[in-house]
Amino acid sequence: MVGVHALHLLRKDLGVGPRSPIFLYAIALPVILTLLIRVVFGSLFDPAPRLGIVDEGDSQIVRNARDIDGVQVKFPESAAILKQMVENNDLDAGLVLPSGFDGALQAGQMPNVQFFFGGQSLASNRVVLGVTMIDLIREVAGSPAPIEVETVTVGDGESVPLVSRLLPLIVLMAVLIAGALTPATSLVEEKEKRTLTALLVTPTRLGDVLLGKGALGFILAMATGTVTLALNGALGTNTAALLLVLVLATLMAAEVGLMLGSFAKDTKALYTIWKSGAIVLLAPVIFFIWPNLPQWIAKVFPTYYFLSPLFDIAIHGAGLADVWVELAIGFAICAVFLLGVAALGRRMEATLAAA
Amino acid sequence: MSEEAIRVEGVSYAYGDVKAVDDISFSVAQGEVLGFLGPNGAGKSTTIKLLTGQMRPQTGDIAILGMNVAKDRDAIQGRIGVCFEEKNLYLNLSAKENLRFFARLFGIRDFDPTPLLQRVGLADRADDRVKGYSKGMQQRLMVARCLLNNPDILFLDEPTDGLDPVSSQAIRRVIEEEAARGAAILLTTHDMDEADKLSDRVAFINDGTIAALDTPENLKLAHGQRSVRVRTRANGEIRERVVPLDASDTGDQLKAVVGAEGLLTIHTEEATLEAVFITLTGRGLQE
Repeated sequence: MVGVHALHLLRKDLGVGPRSPIFLYAIALPVILTLLIRVVFGSLFDPAPRLGIVDEGDSQIVRNARDIDGVQVKFPESAAILKQMVENNDLDAGLVLPSGFDGALQAGQMPNVQFFFGGQSLASNRVVLGVTMIDLIREVAGSPAPIEVETVTVGDGESVPLVSRLLPLIVLMAVLIAGALTPATSLVEEKEKRTLTALLVTPTRLGDVLLGKGALGFILAMATGTVTLALNGALGTNTAALLLVLVLATLMAAEVGLMLGSFAKDTKALYTIWKSGAIVLLAPVIFFIWPNLPQWIAKVFPTYYFLSPLFDIAIHGAGLADVWVELAIGFAICAVFLLGVAALGRRMEATLAAA
Repeated sequence: MSEEAIRVEGVSYAYGDVKAVDDISFSVAQGEVLGFLGPNGAGKSTTIKLLTGQMRPQTGDIAILGMNVAKDRDAIQGRIGVCFEEKNLYLNLSAKENLRFFARLFGIRDFDPTPLLQRVGLADRADDRVKGYSKGMQQRLMVARCLLNNPDILFLDEPTDGLDPVSSQAIRRVIEEEAARGAAILLTTHDMDEADKLSDRVAFINDGTIAALDTPENLKLAHGQRSVRVRTRANGEIRERVVPLDASDTGDQLKAVVGAEGLLTIHTEEATLEAVFITLTGRGLQE
């Protein structure tokens, strides 16, 4: 029974996995890569400005503040707690509105307010919160803004921030290392250490071995791919569609891994092929990072057919209906790759027997 | 020894133009140990690969336990044990984990590896990773692995090659126990003494063909030369002389030698399998 033996192999490989450097590398890489990019380009460690408000009366400002985009607003129970939170850097700024503040404001008076800034808050957050507070007060006072601001976009208004354009690269690295390199390395090790020969004189068939190794790559790549998407805040957009794209990506990666592992005679040969051939798999990310390059070139590479849907869904909010053509082509490529896995597997078995 | 466990008829296999196995035929009965002797490149490994289903014969038929090796590979491989010359264990697993994993592949549930490990003297290192094992310990574990499905046939490829005496002795004991249990054993070895002691019959394979197949005793009687080695001292000089026992004038020669002064030692010498092999093939096993 093919499935049962493949399952035993998978169980063994998952058990041995934590003792294998490539296995650990595959798991750690996407996390490290994400953190590195987020540290360089910001956002992961830069939460939205945090404003606390204590209302000692019944101010309209509180109600308006709840609707502000891009600012986290909290409402501590007392001015003392608010001040403590600002001191502890749990808030960037805190506003205490005295009783009757709105009435005094609307009567044209200049009521006092206490506005605390945390010493550890970012300067950019202080500016944002200061302007926000003045805007809120002006709104309640009913006074018009002294200036009219006209927004003029400079450059490409359709452009996507660089940090978002790097998403395909991070996901691709996560999926390829876990989905392709892990099963390829595992298969080559079985050949090098001759354990594959030992397996093939038991009731285990080569199909079992390939299925087990492929499943190892698939499971690992699905896990690392999902974690990568989650770390990059991409999973919330259209989770089901993204996971379907991830299935395609991991399937393709696992098949590439099995072909590589079947073809390479030893670890040295595997890494030589990987270093020289990975460009074929990685090339499409160049066209996402630099969108001004002729995009048709990206379509020559197989990984484009999951990277493009992934980018469209995660960044542009597309649905499956918008990306089904690419997905269909991607699954067709997987079908062709499956034939490649079978052919190279047979070749490997013959080579092993003749060795 | 009764039923045939292995029957090979007119089997040939060539790698391109090079004939590795050329029209060989033999059989092994249950409970029999067949020593398969030949120098490197003689065709021993190819024969084992053909018998264990790793390769298909280009001509001829192989029946293992009455089944066709090409058609019934799954059923056959469930009932054989193969011990390779090269160590091929999972080094990052312990002995127990190695055995449990392979037991699962044979469909053995709730497998307890301890009795098998005790049998090969590895019970006290059962939980250690195999990468820390000596060559002899790894080989003993290889032997244990090929026994875990209680095989009807054992294929042992140089099981004691380069091992320390303790490990070699442990493996020889297992071979004898398995043969006594009724397993057919195909043993390839370079160690003529080992083959002589363990094998019920031996096959000499050379250039892909079987040059001779018989019991060690019959081969030695048919093709070997018995002799007496005599050492004497004369005029302060030690001389050595070999008297063949099967010559027509053996008696006269022995009388002359024994009667001479200065007799130091006298030893009978039996023919060795190695000498028989050289006689039959014109080459040594180590070539």
